[in-house]
Amino acid sequence: MNTTFILGLAILLIGVFSVAFVRPKTYIARLINLEIPGWGLLLVMLAYDEALALMTFIAVTAISTFVIVRLMEWRDASC
Amino acid sequence: MILALEIAFGLIALAGALSAALLKDPYAKLIALGILVSGALPFIVDRGYLDVAIVASLIAPISTIFVLMAVRRAET
Repeated sequence: MNTTFILGLAILLIGVFSVAFVRPKTYIARLINLEIPGWGLLLVMLAYDEALALMTFIAVTAISTFVIVRLMEWRDASC
Repeated sequence: MILALEIAFGLIALAGALSAALLKDPYAKLIALGILVSGALPFIVDRGYLDVAIVASLIAPISTIFVLMAVRRAET
């Protein structure tokens, strides 16, 4: 539990700072960086033994990525 | 898990996260995200959640494909 928890917290912090201070300020780079804290949060949730929460989180992250990509293409072709 | 394997997979996951955060090219970001996923999946397998590992390894490339469509659309 300890290794997974600490690794998840580290990846979560890296992802949060990379989303906040994104280098090329585009929607695409911010969306790709948003997947990093998702995996960190997954590792933190893994340390607490909830299989259903893990599966729901992965599925909802994928569906929301699909919706946001569709929204970006609809709103603005020069993301 | 064996301690050496834990350190190795943890370093792979950290390297993937850091390179996905620091690189600028969107394709390079996606490849580094694949490295992060491949470093994080053995920890899921180690806890015994094989169903969660199956779902994660099926859905992660699908979301990569969606983001890849948007990157290709944005570059043209």
